[in-house]
Amino acid sequence: MTSLGVKDELSSNASCRHLMNMIMADDKDVLRDVWFGKIPACFTLSPEETTEREAEPYYLLLPRVSYLTLVTDKVKKHFLKVMKAEDVEEMWFEYEGTPLKWHYPIGVLFDLLASNTALPWNVTVRFKNFPEHDLLHCPSNSVIEAHFMSCIKEADALKHKSQVINDMQKKDHKQLWMGLQNDKFDQFWAMNRKLMEYPTEEGGFRYIPFRIYQTMSDRPFLQKLFRPVSPEGHVLTLGDLLKELFPAAICAEDEPKRFQVMIHGIEPLLETPMQWLSEHLSHPDNFLHISIIPAPSD
Amino acid sequence: MMAGERNPASCHLDERTFRLCCQLFLQHSETIQDGWSWEQIKGTDEGFIKKTVLIPVKASVLHKQHECSMQDENTVTDDIQANVEDETAGVQAVCEIHAVLRYEYHILYSCSYQIPVLYFRASTLDGRPLALEEVWSNVHPNYRQRLQQGPWDTLTQQEHPLLGQPFFMLHPCRTEEFMKPALDLAQAENKRVNYIVTWLSVVGPVVGLDVPLSYSTEVSAPD
Repeated sequence: MTSLGVKDELSSNASCRHLMNMIMADDKDVLRDVWFGKIPACFTLSPEETTEREAEPYYLLLPRVSYLTLVTDKVKKHFLKVMKAEDVEEMWFEYEGTPLKWHYPIGVLFDLLASNTALPWNVTVRFKNFPEHDLLHCPSNSVIEAHFMSCIKEADALKHKSQVINDMQKKDHKQLWMGLQNDKFDQFWAMNRKLMEYPTEEGGFRYIPFRIYQTMSDRPFLQKLFRPVSPEGHVLTLGDLLKELFPAAICAEDEPKRFQVMIHGIEPLLETPMQWLSEHLSHPDNFLHISIIPAPSD
Repeated sequence: MMAGERNPASCHLDERTFRLCCQLFLQHSETIQDGWSWEQIKGTDEGFIKKTVLIPVKASVLHKQHECSMQDENTVTDDIQANVEDETAGVQAVCEIHAVLRYEYHILYSCSYQIPVLYFRASTLDGRPLALEEVWSNVHPNYRQRLQQGPWDTLTQQEHPLLGQPFFMLHPCRTEEFMKPALDLAQAENKRVNYIVTWLSVVGPVVGLDVPLSYSTEVSAPD
């Protein structure tokens, strides 16, 4: 029943322009919905940049599961047309004055910073004054690849003590990256399914790879060891995770909700097992990225 | 498992042992005034140890594009050495201008890999952060080739998991390669080691961090 609920929400999510026909509540459909999720964005050049003439905004559908610097070549080309080479340094993005961390999946940035605002997502493009103290540099796609593979490796260290990722060959690792880079769902999952397996007797992964993000915090994210099954053998849920790490997000039935707990732009039921979430709602980097944002005041 | 075969998991470190090793490490640092301190994360029992050092380097180590700004912004020390000793064939004086860089080292615990991880950042005295290429040129030539072998380049720019700012990090997946021989040897000699001391003595020098020998003799293992 839970997987049905999530599937319904993913399909009807306003920020997903991709409309899916609901046929069967198949777990595999959830994987597709997650992979093909998009966010409509409008890129505008910052007035602080020096241009030879005015630049039109550039509209683009951004894949939730990818990274800003991987999918914005066209944005760069568009704005370079109105700029002189000497005014162009490393491109970076900001939203309402906040530099956008390219190494976070696009969907995570959106959910955390802009999910309760009107679409399209208005992103500002910058070409100078790179914020050295806030953003990592991204000089080439191989840096994105290294970061992506590093996340996958860390996730497998948690799930399988790195056994599955280490048993894969270099070409298998490459296939994971190429699948993401070229938007090839089948190519990616042909390899990724191995990272989603576990011994039946264990009932799940060793630990669940997850990160909890919150805007009003000094800490960039929360990450702890969390087993999907309790020592007594109970299947642990999203609610159990929050009880331990973010109890403020769980409120009593009569209380108004203070926080929204968002994954891929939806709020899964707190009863959803963490193991199921990890297998179906993880990003391609194999991490569950959870955004906790203040609930909108109506 | 064969008799005598050590459980490979002992290359790992649980968080409590990490904190205990750090405490003992810090006690010695205090004694020899080595400058390490504990940073606690507000409202938690998590934290890390850190140390800031000033390192003199040759000016040629810094990017050419920054050389002019470096002179303007007065990061050049008064210490200009001129090699005028060679009188033989009227050799010209060679001036080596030293700049001073500020290196900040943090040792964090990785719960994913269950080992310590070394993060650091470097900047000029006027606050300009060093780029990866500049940091590379400060890595001892003996280590450079090994670090470059990949597959995921061992020295990379990463977000500090507790502070959220860009740091450089020595990739943790190679730790077992460094630590296994050292831990095996200690076990064979029936000695107990302080994981942080052993680990830092191996990885620290790679990125210019000196770990005085007294740590190895004076710091005990936690109970």
